[in-house]
This record gives sequence, structure tokens and C-alpha cells, in this order.
Amino acid sequence: MLFSIILVFCILGAVVFLLARKISTEMSSSAIHNLNESLTLIRGTVEAILTKKAEFQDLIAREIVRIDDPEEFVRSYDRNRAMVKISLISSGKTEGVSNTGEVFSEEGLDFSAGKTVEGLPVSDSYLNDMGTWAYTIKCPIMKNGREIAWLYAEYIYDAFDEALPDGFYNGNAMLYIMDAKSERLVLKPKGMGERNAGHLNLEDFYRANNILEKGLQAEVEQYIKDGKNIMFYHDIQGENSLIYMWSVNNGALYLIGYVPIDAIQQEGKAVNQNILIVVLVMLIAFFLCCVLYFFNQRQQDRIREEQEREREMHNKQLAEALQAAQIASNSKTMFLSNMSHDIRTPMNAILGFTTLLNKDADNPVKVREYTKKITASGQHLLGLINDVLDVSKIESGKVVLTIGEFTLNDLVSSVDTIIRPMAGAKEQKFHVTVTGIKHEYLAGDETRLNQILINLLSNAVKYTQKGGNIWFRIIGLDQRSSQYEHIRIEVEDDGYGMTPEYLETIFDAFTRAENSTTNKVQGTGLGMAITKNIVELMGGTIEVSSQVDKGSLFRVELELRIPDEQMDKQFWEKNGISHVLAVDDEEDICSGIRLLMKDTGVLMDEAYNGKDAVRLAMDAYGAGNGYDVILMDWKMPGMDGLETAKRIREAISGPVKILFLTSYDGEDLQEEVHHMENTGILAKPFFVTAFKEKIMEMRMESEGKGQEAEAGKCSSLEGLRLLAAEDNEINAEILLELLDMEGAACEIVGNGQMAVERFANAAEGEFDAILMDVQMPVMNGYEATKAIRALNRRDAREIPVIAMTANAFAEDVKEALDAGMNVHIAKPIDMELLKKTINQYVIRKE
Amino acid sequence: MKALMGEDGKRRLSVCLAAAAVLAMTACGAKAGEGNLIVQEESGGKVVNFFGPMEKSNPDADNVSRTAFDMTVSMAEEQLGLTVEYRTYTAENYQEKTYDDVTLDRVRNNMDDLYLLNPDTIQILGEEGKLMDLSGLENAENLREVVKTANTVDGKLVAAPQEVVVYGLFVNKDMFDEYGLQLPETPEDLMECCKTFKENGVETPIGANRWWLENLVFAQAYADLYNGENTEEEIDALNRGERKYSDYMRPGFEYLQELIDKGYIDAKTAYTYEAIEGEGPDFLAQKTPIVMAYWGAANTPTAYGEPDFELQVIGFPSSRGQMPVVSMTGFGVGTDAEHLEDTMNVLNIILSDEALQLYTETNKVISPSENVEVDCIPALKPLNDKVEDNVYVLGSNANMKVEQWGNTCLIVRDLLNGATVDECMAEFDRLQEEALGR
Repeated sequence: MLFSIILVFCILGAVVFLLARKISTEMSSSAIHNLNESLTLIRGTVEAILTKKAEFQDLIAREIVRIDDPEEFVRSYDRNRAMVKISLISSGKTEGVSNTGEVFSEEGLDFSAGKTVEGLPVSDSYLNDMGTWAYTIKCPIMKNGREIAWLYAEYIYDAFDEALPDGFYNGNAMLYIMDAKSERLVLKPKGMGERNAGHLNLEDFYRANNILEKGLQAEVEQYIKDGKNIMFYHDIQGENSLIYMWSVNNGALYLIGYVPIDAIQQEGKAVNQNILIVVLVMLIAFFLCCVLYFFNQRQQDRIREEQEREREMHNKQLAEALQAAQIASNSKTMFLSNMSHDIRTPMNAILGFTTLLNKDADNPVKVREYTKKITASGQHLLGLINDVLDVSKIESGKVVLTIGEFTLNDLVSSVDTIIRPMAGAKEQKFHVTVTGIKHEYLAGDETRLNQILINLLSNAVKYTQKGGNIWFRIIGLDQRSSQYEHIRIEVEDDGYGMTPEYLETIFDAFTRAENSTTNKVQGTGLGMAITKNIVELMGGTIEVSSQVDKGSLFRVELELRIPDEQMDKQFWEKNGISHVLAVDDEEDICSGIRLLMKDTGVLMDEAYNGKDAVRLAMDAYGAGNGYDVILMDWKMPGMDGLETAKRIREAISGPVKILFLTSYDGEDLQEEVHHMENTGILAKPFFVTAFKEKIMEMRMESEGKGQEAEAGKCSSLEGLRLLAAEDNEINAEILLELLDMEGAACEIVGNGQMAVERFANAAEGEFDAILMDVQMPVMNGYEATKAIRALNRRDAREIPVIAMTANAFAEDVKEALDAGMNVHIAKPIDMELLKKTINQYVIRKE
Repeated sequence: MKALMGEDGKRRLSVCLAAAAVLAMTACGAKAGEGNLIVQEESGGKVVNFFGPMEKSNPDADNVSRTAFDMTVSMAEEQLGLTVEYRTYTAENYQEKTYDDVTLDRVRNNMDDLYLLNPDTIQILGEEGKLMDLSGLENAENLREVVKTANTVDGKLVAAPQEVVVYGLFVNKDMFDEYGLQLPETPEDLMECCKTFKENGVETPIGANRWWLENLVFAQAYADLYNGENTEEEIDALNRGERKYSDYMRPGFEYLQELIDKGYIDAKTAYTYEAIEGEGPDFLAQKTPIVMAYWGAANTPTAYGEPDFELQVIGFPSSRGQMPVVSMTGFGVGTDAEHLEDTMNVLNIILSDEALQLYTETNKVISPSENVEVDCIPALKPLNDKVEDNVYVLGSNANMKVEQWGNTCLIVRDLLNGATVDECMAEFDRLQEEALGR
């Protein structure tokens, strides 16, 4: 392609060059022809003047014949510009008369060259008495065929000037008239000569114009001698010029001069310039077209490539979507299959045991066994249903976080309460550590956090073999903002682990690890999807690493807002605690305690073994700044916590409280501690709130309150009278029976309206609490609660209204509370939870 | 393309193409010019004919002097909207008519309008009444008094120059230094220098031409007259015939004769040599250490403007030390000039201070205007210092009844041609008698 373009351009260039050259040659030839014609015209003019002068002189000569006194005629003739002098010499004489009054002779006039005009002899040029170049023509005066005298007329060359043009080729051409014999330049016509050169003669002309080639000069000389025209090229003052020497009157005179080539070839030059301009314009246009075409092509290519890329991307997306749809479809099919299996299994157990229950109704041992199993299966079924509903809720984006304030202590202890027994059941070791936490009082959705931790930890327990280890760590990271606590939750196990393939889909819904080891484990496979969604909803991240047969590590990073904590410094002052010693062989734990206690205003000391603890305690005591509380790790190498405590007690007589830190249930310790005064047990990990609670507890104990009796009373519903709104008769019956079993009287109404009416008609204090279903005909639970609260009676605002509903989501809880209910309990009813809740809210009349 | 231009771009391109097509068609279909196609000359062809001398052409050098004059002429042409036509004459050899002869003929026959005249022709033509009185020119007012005096004939200012022409000795300082010679102050000094040069193999110590040798005579003749206190009285005495020109001239002529006799000047070649053209090549080739020329020759590449040695221009030796000779060439206008008014206007412009400033700066000469002064080149400093100190003699003086410049030149030529000093003095006496009308 490039070669073709270059070839085309070469051909085009060659054509243009040849064309320009042809034009140049033709124009040059034409210009020379024109110059020829101009010179010929000037020659014609000069010759015509010469001829006319000769003819006029001849006429005068004829006239003189008829005049009686020719000499007088001559003498009286007035000089004029054409004929400046007229003289007459009679035949046979050498002297004659002249109109200037002088005696005239032929002396000084040279006719020897034999030049003539109209047959009349012409003299060589000479400088006349006017100081200008002149020539003389002599004419015979014939009378009756006999020569009687000669008439001499002198003419000056200046006379030619008037008949010649004022210059040619725009004044660029030089022209002089040269006398051929003397080679003197006898006239410089106006407008045709150089100002700064006099040009005395041909030699001077050569010298001025640097025409110094001897050969050329000789050639010119020969031409002049022969009376021929000459024209040749020569550089004059740096310009290529045409030098011409044009013969006049058969070579008696010459027109000599030069013209620069550029001056005579202006037309040719202009034509070539125009051709060049046209070619250039065409070339520019061509290149512009090429550029436009190139850009257009590039644009088209780019668009095409983009379209191609988009198409490929779409195809890829479509393929991925298809694959995802297929996977989702497969997953859902698998899920349904699993669900079918998972639901039917407990259901089968429930129905089976119900049949057995019916059959063995008279055997209380079996009935208890069956009901226990039915309950277990029911609980399992409930878990399945909760998960399915939760994930559906999350997927439809309807999950709303309920932000409230909580303490990490509560979170950890509630998780610990649930997981530790599960781990214990599988003989697994459950390690809980909290490090680097600066604030334990935080804001967030505690329920959902709980859900995350339970999910992760229960999975860890599930997927770890018997006797394995579960590590639950809460690590305080560097704060990105002073208003947020940045925490990392790690759940690690040394269980079965996961394959890399499964890791890729672990957070997808409806997937569950399938292998010979885990398929014994039942579950929806929704837990991790729910967990991930909740973490992301909280603005956190979750990641997992795992190796088959090595274990798994889940890492959740969250930023939880630090509420405007009102540091209860007064608490410590009020309880007389200003100096605390933390004793633990693990430095991290000591520094964790120090970190948590930072804002309390309490002075903290640390000891990493029993010996140091004893020494520090003694020193402090000796210095009069004894410790108010010693937090003592139980298990320490060397001198353990108990031993250390004993030594301290022996050494110091003061009322220092010693709290043993333990991560075990501490039953053995309980026994030991019981025998020591002013001691207590504080569960690891250490939390300030737990510490405070313990202090309070110990204070109350020391104040001797009968907590046990109170607690026993509170755990029963004996003597309470409740109003329950429940539209489902079976549920109503179950409720009635359960409450009856607990010794509480319950009146059931069928909907919210009836509940409102019944409460309105009841005497003040007739009911201790109202149990309110939410979804009911006529009036739902929310409206009914609002109506009750709106009643104009004193107890309408005080009576506890407890929501008991299958609407178990967080937003349902929120709605219930917004409607004026005091608390929310999800169905199916957990009797223990119900009892605890009622006792919490009901104000006993006694 | 769509992406590049869009609909708007396409529309614009279409409009441009359409416009280009219409223009092309209009150009192709345009009629040839209508009406009278002859371009009328606006200037009306006004011409002033100028006759002046011209050195023989040299293709390798610019004639600076002429260039400066051309610049002032162009100024006049531009201002007046006319053309100054140059005419010239150069004698091919010494046997032909001189420039002065031709000038006289041309002025007498009214051949031109404006002439550049030598001092002798100014006096002759002024006395013949052939030259216009220029004192009416506006810019003639600016001329120095000495210039006016030298060009006033019968109470008329008949010529005005563009430069004050000062003649001096052009010496090759390197050659003087080579032979341990001081630059000459007196005629005796010069004679000694010539002797030394001659002894050292310089064939002709003084290069001369047929025009300017008279300056050696003038310096000796009139050093006292022009630099004494009785100048006017002495000239009056000469004009009355109470004193003789020959008495003034004799020492110079005898001195010249001695130079010739001792071979310090080659009379034969000097008689035929044209100015500079003859003696110049030997001087530039450092064969001759001394020549004489006018001030401007030191600035002109066509003369002695670019020598290969250290050039110094000094006054001619006299009893009063080095003496510059001041001569006035000037522009004259024929009384019957065909284009008299235009010519007077041209002359007025080329004599204006503006034109003279341009001329003087270009040529580095002494300006005739009182208002124009420029620095001279180092070589001319000795000569310039003298003129500045008013130490000089005049080579021509229209107040003297016997024309000095031309006549002395011719008589010196006679001496060169073999006449005796006495014969030359007799010629002076004859001329004086003739002038006194006896």
C-alpha cells in the first residue's frame, strides 16, 4: 500500500516536474522571442530615424540646388535637436561654410568605415561641441547630374532618446547604443541604464558586468565586426542574465545591454509558481483527506473494538449469569432437597414420638422421654425455619439494624453461655480472649452481633471433631476515628477445615459443605450467608482462611461507635477503690486490664507471677497505699492464684478484696474461694462492667441481703393473673396449660379488640400483665396495645404488655416496642424465657 | 466520521465545499478586464537631467560616494515624484576631451538641467552667466561661509556642494615606519623622505596623475596668503595686478621641478594618468608610498578605502607645516535648464540638512552645512584636525580674477610635458594680464 502511494506520488511528481520544465522551456523560449522582438522594434525605430534623417537631408540637398546662394542658406539654418549642425563644401574645395559660422572642413570626421544610410555616408561617432555624442551624414548636392557640393548634417544621439521607450521589462533591462567602430557607448536612453556605472565603452561594460572570458569577448568582437546580432547567457551581479548586442544599420551601431532572466521569465515563473501552488494545495488536500480517513478509520476501529469488547463482556456476563443461575438453580434444588430432608427428619421424629406418646400416655417415664425428644426436634425445626426466614429477609433487603448500647462483657458472656456447653458436649476446649479493647461499652445491634458470633462459633463447634479446640478472640485494633472502636473478631478451630472450592462459595446462600465427615451435620447452609450479609450491613468485612484437616479461621472486622460514655468515676470512689493490682502470667491480659481501666481513674499495677504480686502487695501496704482489689489469675505457673492469695492474706491484714480470674467454670475454685474472706471469682475475659458487677455483688453480700430467697421467688409465676390475647385456640390452650403449670391464672381473649375491652372493664390491678399476640383478627396486637395505653386509667400506662408473636424479626421487636409494648418474646414460647421476662416486668403487689 | 464531525460538522463541510465550488466556477468564468487596459502613468513623466562624472566601473566594489549621492537623489525623487536621469562622460584617455571640457560644452548648449562642476568650470560658467543664482534656495542658508565664498561669482552663489572637498597627501605609514621616517611637515622634509625612499629602491616615491599634482603647488603658494592676516588685501592686490600670481606660484613649481628632476615624480606617466586609476594600483600595491587625493578617496573601496597597510592622510608640506587644500566641486543649474523649477527643487532637497546628514554619515566627509558634523575615520584625523583649526589653503577662489584650479592644473601639465618653470610663470602672468583686461 505504502509502496503504491509512493509510486503514485513519484509519477505525479515526475509529471508535474516535466510539465513545469516544459512550460519553463516554452516560456523561456517565448521570452527570448519577445526580447528579440523588442530589440528588433527598437532597432527598427533607430533605423527609421536614421532613414528619415537621411531622407530629410536629401530633400534639403535637392532644395539647395534650387537656391541661388546655397552657402547663405546653410549659414542661416537654425540649429535644432534633430540636426544640430549643417555645413556645405562645394565640390573641389576642402573647406566650406557651416550654420555655426565657422569654417567647416571634413577634418575630424571619419567616413572610412563605409557605413551608409539610404546610400548616404555616415561618419564615425564623435564628441561634438555640445559635449555629446554625434555623427554626421554627408549628402551630395547634384545639379543636372553633376555633383556641385556636399551637404554635411550633424546629428546627436540624444535625439533618439525621445523616440525610444522609457525602459522595458519594467526597467530591469539595460540598454545602450554603442558605436561599433570605436565601441564607445554613445547613448544611454532614459530609464535604460545603470546609475552607478558610466559605461564608457564596451571594455568598461565587460569589466562592470564581469564578462571577462577572453574567448567570449573575442567571439563577440567577431560578431560585431560581421555586423551580426549576439545574445548569450551570463551572470551579472549574481543574477543569471541575457546579454544582447543588436546590430543597427548593418552593424554601424549596436544596441547593447542585458536583462536578468527572472525579469523576462516572469510569466513562466508565475505559471510555474501557480502550478506549484496548485500541486501543493492538492497535496495538502490529499494529506488532509488521508489524515481524515486515517482518523476516521481509527475511530471506526476503536468503536468496533469497543463494541467487540462490550459484546465479549456481555457474553461473558451472560455466561456468568447463566452459570450463576444454573448454580443458583442447582443450589436451590439442592437446598429444597436438603430442606425436605432436614424438615422431614425432625418432623418425622415429632410425629413419630407423638404417636408413641399417645400409645405410652400412661407411662410417665416414657412420656417425659418422648416429650423431651419432641421438644428437641421442635427446637431444631424452629432453627431451620428461622434461618430460612432470615436469609429471605436479608436477600429482600428488609433487614434493619437496631442500634442500641451494649457492653462487650454481656456479648461475650451470652455467647460464652451458649457455646461453652456446646463445646463441652463435644469435649472441645473453648478459649476466649479479649485484648487491646479500649472501650467495652459500645453502640450497635447486639442481637445481630450475637447472631454473627453464634453462627461462627456454632459452626466451629459443629465442624470440629471431638476434643478439638475453638478459639474466640476479640482484638482491639488501632482506631481510625476516635468515635469508633475498631475491633477484630476471630473464630478459629482446628477442625475439619474446608476445600478451596468450597471456600469460594461459603458465603453464598443454599450451599453446604458436603463430605463424608460433615454431611452428618444438619443445617440449612444459610448461616454463613446470613453472617456475611449482617457483617456487611454493619459496614464490616468478613474473611476466611481454611485448610482441610487443619482448621479454619474466620476474621470479622467491625467498627462500632463509642457512645458518649459517662464514666462512672464516682463508682470507684464510692466503693473506695483507687488502687488495683492485676496478677497474670500473661502480660497481654494485664495490659488489656490496664487498657480497659484507663478511664476509671483507678491506679493500676501489674505483676506477672505470684511472687511479684506478694511483694508488690506488701510494698504498697507498707507505703500506706495498699491495694483495694487484687485481680488474681487462678492458674499461674509456679505459685498459683490461690497460693498467692493466701500469702498476701498472711502478709497483709487489710481488707483487700481478691478476685480470681478464671476462664473455667470454676467449680473447684468456688470451693476454695468459699473459705477465703473477701474474695470472689471473675470470669475471663476481664471486663470493667463485670468487675463492677462483682464489686457490687460482694458489697451486697457483705451487707447481708437475702438474695437467695428473692431469687427463688422470682423464678416462679405463682399467684400472678394474666390477660392473654391469642386468636389461635391451640396456642391459647397451650399457653393456658403452661401458665397453669407455673401457678399463674390466665384469661384468654380472641383478638385485640376484646383484650382492650376486657382490660377496660377490669378492676385496677386485676391483671399483673398482658400477653399480646400480634397477628389477630378484628384488631391486631399493636393497635390493641396502643388503645390500652390510651385508656384513661392509672394502670393503663404501667401494666406490662408482653408481645408473644411469631413475627420474630428485629423490626417486629422494634414495632412492638414502638406500639407501647414493654418486651417481645418470639413464638414458639420458651417457658423459661417467658417466666424470666414476666418476673422482670411485673411489679409484685406484696 | 460521524463521531468526528457530527451532523453539524457535515453541514459546515458541505457549505464550505459549495462555497469553494462557487468560487472556482466564478474564477473560471470571470471575464477579462473591462475598459481601458492601459495603466496610466501617474508621475506625468517629470524628469530632471543630471550630468556628472563617473569613474570607470569596477564590478567588485561599490562606489560609496555615488551611493551617498544616490540616496539623497532618491530622497528628492520620492518627495517630488519625479525621476533624476543620470548622464555622464568619462574620457577614455588623456587625449580625449576632459570632463571639464565636456561640461563646459554641455552647459553652454543647455544639454542638461543639473551639473556637478569642478571649481574652474564653476568660475568660468559663473562668469559667463550660464549658472543660476542659488542663493534663493531655502537650504543654501545653511552652507558654511567658506563654501559660499568659494562659490560666489559676481555676487551670485552659482554652485553648492554636498561635501567640502579637501585634498591631502595619502601616505603609507608602514613604509615610512619601515625606513624610520617622520611624516613630512615642510617641503624639505618631503624631499628628504623621497630621497630615503629612492635610496631604498622605491622607484617613484610620489605617485601622481594629471589632475591633482597642482595641490603640492597650491600648498606652498598660498600657505601664507590664506593663513596670514591680510588675505583679502593680498587677493585684492592680485586682482588689481599689484602682485603677481607667478610670484606665489614659483616656489611650488620649482619644487615640483626638483621632484621631477630627482625622479621622485614620474612626469611622463603623471601627464597621462587619470586620477586614482593611474597611480592608485602602485600605491595600493605598496610600490609607491605617497599619492595625493581628495578626502573621500580614503572612504571609498573603489579608491583607497580598503588598503592592506596603515593609511594616513596628511596636509601637503608647506612653510607653515602640513596644509590641506580645500577645493569645491559643486552642483550648478543651467540658467536655461529645460526643467528649471524641478531642478531647483531637487537641489534644495539634496542640500537639506537631512540629506547632507545622510550623505556625510555615508561618506564620512566634511559637510558644507553648518549644522551637520560627523566623526571621520582614523586615517583622516590629521587632515581633519587641520581643517577644524582653520588651517588650509583654497584650491579655488571665485574672488580671484584668475581662475586657479583649472589653470594651475593645465600649467602643471605643461611642466610635466617639459615646459620650464619660467615658461609656466609666464603663462600665469599672461592669464593675469588677460584677466585684468590688458
